[in-house]
Amino acid sequence: MQSNLLNFIQVLRSNDVRISPAETLDAVDVAATLGYADRSLLRDGLAMTLAKTPEEEVIFLECFQRFFHQGLADFASGEVPADDAQAQSDADETAAGDDQPGGASEEQLPSPLESAAADSPQLQALLESTLMQNLLQNDRNQLTLAMNRAGERVGLQQIQMFTQKGQYTRKILDELGEAHIRNAVIELERADSPALVSLQRYRDILREQVRDYVEREYLLQAKGKTRQFMDEVLSTTRLNNIEHMYLHKVQELIRKMARKLASRHSRKRRQLKRGQLDMGKTIRKGIPNEGVMFNTYWRRTRKEKPQILAVCDVSGSVAAYAKFLLLFLYSLQDVLPKVRSFAFSSHLGEVSDYFQQHPVEKAIELVNWKYGGATDYGSSLMDFAGLALDDINSNTTVIILGDARNNNGDPRMDIMQSIYQRSRQVIWLNPESRRAWGTGDSEMLRYQSACHFSAECNNLKQLERIIDQLLKSTR
Amino acid sequence: MHTQDLPQLASVEEIEAGFEAHGYICSRKIATAVFLAFQLRKPVLVEGPPGVGKTELAKTTATLLDVPLIRLQCYEGLDEAKALYEWKYGKQLLYTQVLKEKLGDLLHGAKGLAESVERLHQFGDIFYSEEFLEPRPLLKAMQQDKGAILLIDEVDKSDYEFESLLLEILSDYQISIPEIGTVKARTSPMVFLTSNNTRDISDALKRRCLHLYIPFPSVELEERIICSRVPDINEQLRHQLVEFVHSLRQLDLKKAPAISETIDWARSLLLLHADQLDEQLVSDTLNVLLKFEDDIEATGPELRSLLHPPGN
Repeated sequence: MQSNLLNFIQVLRSNDVRISPAETLDAVDVAATLGYADRSLLRDGLAMTLAKTPEEEVIFLECFQRFFHQGLADFASGEVPADDAQAQSDADETAAGDDQPGGASEEQLPSPLESAAADSPQLQALLESTLMQNLLQNDRNQLTLAMNRAGERVGLQQIQMFTQKGQYTRKILDELGEAHIRNAVIELERADSPALVSLQRYRDILREQVRDYVEREYLLQAKGKTRQFMDEVLSTTRLNNIEHMYLHKVQELIRKMARKLASRHSRKRRQLKRGQLDMGKTIRKGIPNEGVMFNTYWRRTRKEKPQILAVCDVSGSVAAYAKFLLLFLYSLQDVLPKVRSFAFSSHLGEVSDYFQQHPVEKAIELVNWKYGGATDYGSSLMDFAGLALDDINSNTTVIILGDARNNNGDPRMDIMQSIYQRSRQVIWLNPESRRAWGTGDSEMLRYQSACHFSAECNNLKQLERIIDQLLKSTR
Repeated sequence: MHTQDLPQLASVEEIEAGFEAHGYICSRKIATAVFLAFQLRKPVLVEGPPGVGKTELAKTTATLLDVPLIRLQCYEGLDEAKALYEWKYGKQLLYTQVLKEKLGDLLHGAKGLAESVERLHQFGDIFYSEEFLEPRPLLKAMQQDKGAILLIDEVDKSDYEFESLLLEILSDYQISIPEIGTVKARTSPMVFLTSNNTRDISDALKRRCLHLYIPFPSVELEERIICSRVPDINEQLRHQLVEFVHSLRQLDLKKAPAISETIDWARSLLLLHADQLDEQLVSDTLNVLLKFEDDIEATGPELRSLLHPPGN
C-alpha cells in the first residue's frame, strides 16, 4: 500500500502539485494514523498534507478519484449486444441446467464455441487457457489483475505521449495472450464456423477493455507530463513564432510567471519601528541626567522606496511582442508596488490607469487602440520627459521595451541622456537579436550608450530571467 | 500532550461530538484536521473567508481540552520583540543604577583597569538571565506546563520576515535566545495559524503545517450551527433564513455574509419576534448581513426574487 501511496504522489507531482520528500513522509504518517478503511477520511487527511492551496486541493481530489477508484473492468459490458443472443444463451443455459442440475461452468459456454472446439484441437486448447476461461466466466477480478500485471511488465507507467497509446495497448494484449484468440478467429473464419461471431465478440471486448485501461493510465501519468513539456517548449520559443492557437496558453504562462516572481519578491519593505536597543544613543542622551538613562532609544532601519517606470513600444514593428510585453506590464503591476506604465508609438501616454481599472484583455485592447501606429522615438521621448522626467530620481528604474527602430527620425539622445543621468538604472529590452541592433533604421547602438543594461528579450525564459534580476537589484 | 491523557481527542468522531457539546458544529474534515494535528504534533494552517469560524476553532479546542489559549494577533510590523520575548530594559537600567554603589565595594582593592574588568567578568551576564526576560505569546506558549493552544491569528497580515521567525517554533517547538540558549517547550502546544489569504504564505511555512481550508458551510451544516447557537428560533424561519443567506452568497458581493453574520441575523430576527421572512423585514435588517453600502444597494432590487425563488 505504501508503494501505492508513493505512486499516487508521483501522479500528483506530474499534475503540478509540488510535494517535497518531507511532505511525502507526512503523508505516510497520516495514512498510518488514519488507516485505509475509511476512504473519505483518508482523502481529507492526505489533502491536508499534500495540497497547500485551494487550487491544488481541486487537482488533488480529481487525482484521488482517478487513482484510487479505478474500479474493476467490466468484461461483460459488450457481451450481449443483441436481444436474440441473450435469448439464445439463456435458452442454452436453461437447457443445460435441466439436463444436469449441478451444471459446471463448461455448461454455460455458448454452444457454438463448444461445438466448434470439438472439431479443432487448437480452439479446444484456447478455450482451456486461463485468459479465455476468465473471459467466458466474466471473472472481473482475475482479468483486472492480469491486465494490471501485464501493464506493469510492459512498463505502462512510463507512458509519455498520447501517440504511444496504441503501442502500449498492443503490448499489453500480447502480454495477455490475445494472439491465440486472434489465430483462432482466423481459423474459424476460414472454416466459416458459426462460433466465429461469439469469439470475435470476446476479442473485441478484451481489446476495448485494454484500450480503456491504457487510456486511464495515460490520463493519470502522462497528461501532466505532456503539459509540462508543452510549457517548456512555449517558454523557449520566440514570442512572434508562437502559433495563434497557443496564445491563451502563453497568457496563462505569463500569469504564472508573474505570480512566481510576485511570491519571490513581494516582501514588503517597511521601517521596523523597534528593533535593537541603540546603546550608544541611550547613553549619550543620558549624559545630561548624570548618566541616568531615563529614555531608551532604538535603532531604526532606513526605508527605500523603489519606483519603476515601464515604457512599452506598441507600434507595428513589434506588434507580435507588444501584446506579451503589455501583458507582462500588467502582471508587473501586481508584483511591484509603484509601477507607472507608459505606451507609445508616434506619441506617448501614461496607461497605468487602464491597467488598474480594466481586466487585462480589455486594457491591452484599449492601449493598442489609443497608442498604436508608426514609431517615433524622438517625440515619444519628449512626451515621456514632459510626463515623468521630474519624477525620476536616484531610486527610479526605467524599463524600456522596444526595438529602437525610429524610421530614421531624430533619436533625441539628449533626453535619453538626461534620463540616464537622473535615474538609478535604465534597462532596455529589445525583442530583436543582438546582431540586428544598429542595422537599418535601428538606433539601438546609440540608445544603448545611455542604458545601464540592455538585453535581447524575445522569449519568456529570457523575460523571466531579466525581470528576476531586475527585482533583485531594485530591492 | 499525549493521546492517552486526552480521551477528548482519541478519534475523529470523539472530536466531532466534543466540539458539538461546546457549541461548535464542524464538518468531518475539520475534526480530521484537529485529530491529525494532535496525533502528528503538527500545526494547522486554517484558511478561509472571514467569519467561517477559524478563530473559533482554536478557542473551542482550548475549552475542550481545558488548557489556556494563548493568542498572537499578527499585524504589519509585528516583530520578535512583541511576539517572542523582550529584555526588560527598564529593569536592567534601573538595576545598574541601584547597583552603582555596590560597584565601589566590588572593585575595592583592584589594581588598574585590567584587574577591575577581570573582576567584573566573574559575575557573568546577570543582566541577561531569565529574570530580565519578558515572555511574549510565543515564548509563553512554550512555558506552559500543561500544554496550551497557541493561536497565531491572521498570519498573512504579518511581514514576510516574521514567517521565518515562526519556522523554528512550528517544527521543533523551541525558541533560540542568543543570550540564554535554546528554550524547549515543556509540553508542545497545539498550534493553529489562521489566514485570510490576503497574500501567499511562504512554502517553508506551508510545508510545516496541515492545510485546512474552511469554506462556507452547506445548508444543513449551517442550519445545525444556527440551531446550536440560536436555539430559540423556530424551525421554519431557520430554514428560510439559511436558504436566503445561501442565495445571497451566490451574488457578486464585495463581502459575502459569513456564518457569524448569519448568527447575528438570526439573533436580531429573534429579538424582533419575527416568525417569517418578508421583504420589508429583510430590507430593514439587511445591514446586519451585509457590511457594505454598495452590497446593500445591489441586493435591494433582487430581494423579491431571492425570497421567492422561481422553483417554489
